[in-house]
Amino acid sequence: MRDRNDSLDDPAVRFDRVSLSYGPNTDVLADVSLQLKPGSMTFLTGPSGAGKSTLLRMAYLALRPTNGRVSLFGIDTSRLNRPTLARLRKRIGVVFQEFRLLDHLTAYENVALPLRVHGENEKQYRDNVIELLRWVGLGDRLDARPETLSGGEKQRVAIARAVVSKPDLIIADEPTGNVDEEMGERLLRLFRELNKSAKTTILIATHDLALVRKAQADVLRLADGMVSRVVVPQHAEAPT
Amino acid sequence: MKPSGAPLLPREDAREAALFFVVCALCFLAALSGLVARSAYAAADSWTAQVTGQITIRVRGGDADTARAVGLTAATPGVLTARSLSRAESEDLLRPWLGASGVPEDLPLPHLIAAEASPGQAGLADRLGQALSAAGIDATVDDHVVWSDDVRRATDSAGLMAILAVALLGATGIAVIAFATHATLLARRDIVELLHLSGASDGFISGLFERRFLMLGVQAGTVGALLAFGAAAFILFAVKQADQHVWLLPQLSLSLADGLILGLAPLLAGLASMLAAKLTVMRSLSGMV
Repeated sequence: MRDRNDSLDDPAVRFDRVSLSYGPNTDVLADVSLQLKPGSMTFLTGPSGAGKSTLLRMAYLALRPTNGRVSLFGIDTSRLNRPTLARLRKRIGVVFQEFRLLDHLTAYENVALPLRVHGENEKQYRDNVIELLRWVGLGDRLDARPETLSGGEKQRVAIARAVVSKPDLIIADEPTGNVDEEMGERLLRLFRELNKSAKTTILIATHDLALVRKAQADVLRLADGMVSRVVVPQHAEAPT
Repeated sequence: MKPSGAPLLPREDAREAALFFVVCALCFLAALSGLVARSAYAAADSWTAQVTGQITIRVRGGDADTARAVGLTAATPGVLTARSLSRAESEDLLRPWLGASGVPEDLPLPHLIAAEASPGQAGLADRLGQALSAAGIDATVDDHVVWSDDVRRATDSAGLMAILAVALLGATGIAVIAFATHATLLARRDIVELLHLSGASDGFISGLFERRFLMLGVQAGTVGALLAFGAAAFILFAVKQADQHVWLLPQLSLSLADGLILGLAPLLAGLASMLAAKLTVMRSLSGMV
């Protein structure tokens, strides 16, 4: 999926003095700078309301910053036209906090959605989608519609949908918020495998401190509109 | 498990049924207006074709003057034929005004000459009038130009009104569909946003709506056109059943041109629906990053 123009030295995600405000004295983010190396796995933590979801939304190109620059794979996104932005979005898999599954589609169809958008043939992806759903423990729920799935099952469908197209960047907002510990570990293993085998850059916003401790990954903390990098020693308490 | 054929845009049964009805009704009215416009122009052509080149000469005098006038008229350059009408033929012409009981025997009827001019004989009526006057015959020459011009103006006006009605109905249809598309878009903003964030191009998302509304427009337009065909056929049947010559009704018939109007109506309804959907979706998408 890597673009021919990408350089391995270019950060997968780069925020240069990014600010977002919805009016005077309503700064959500102020002067945030950060870089994620290609193939890195990073957790974003911070108190509720700190702006983690807003930061992620800018990273997956759903929001434009008020000031500053967001670059993905070395490409300044503020200068891109709509077709190029659409192509760039195809390289990003997103796990939304509220899942955003389509009610009229089955679990299988929801997972296959990015592949349909990419114009791929069902004959080519069908087995992969089924295998992926089996892997997240939903092999017997392929034809189930979201309304019949539990919160945890919906979350797993959402994660499967984010990773199915093997994107260069996966952005997940609280991906283990609705699953039990065992499934949380299993999903973390999936992210790790993608990160290691496919060199997928992964950015996960979470409150799950246990997950952060187990992951042995970079941790960024967002608080008061500022991002700081913290080191979390294994078995130590993660920052809250 | 069946292959995935589910549409990315779910069906909105209640909303689409209402829209189907509105587009169907608009298409019915538009097709009917189109048929009326076509009939009005056809009637004008038919009526004026009947009198174009026909000259009627009314002779105030006896049979001798009429016979001289026939000879003079026939000899005038540009006149193809000329003959005097019999009393029975004159009575036929008066029947619509005097009724089927006929003309009283003692009612004096004017002597009429029917002449046919070759095409492109401008001013022939004036020349004939002067020639007859010079020969001492008291006659009035009528080439029906005034009447046919009046008919043409009247039918042109009727046709124009029908075309304006078609245009107005078309514009109303586009506005209704744009409104419905916008409502669908708002109701399905979750899908649009998800597709957008999954990397779908504006054209891909717009295409979903375009195809949906194209099909709706074509189907609703087909039903509307069929209803218009039924209504036109019923009117035609009713007029024929009346077994009367209805002077002021346009000439009603179902010809190839009518078939073209009825066939085009669903296509135009579909294309208008598709265009309205495209414009609405594109405008809405331009508000997203």
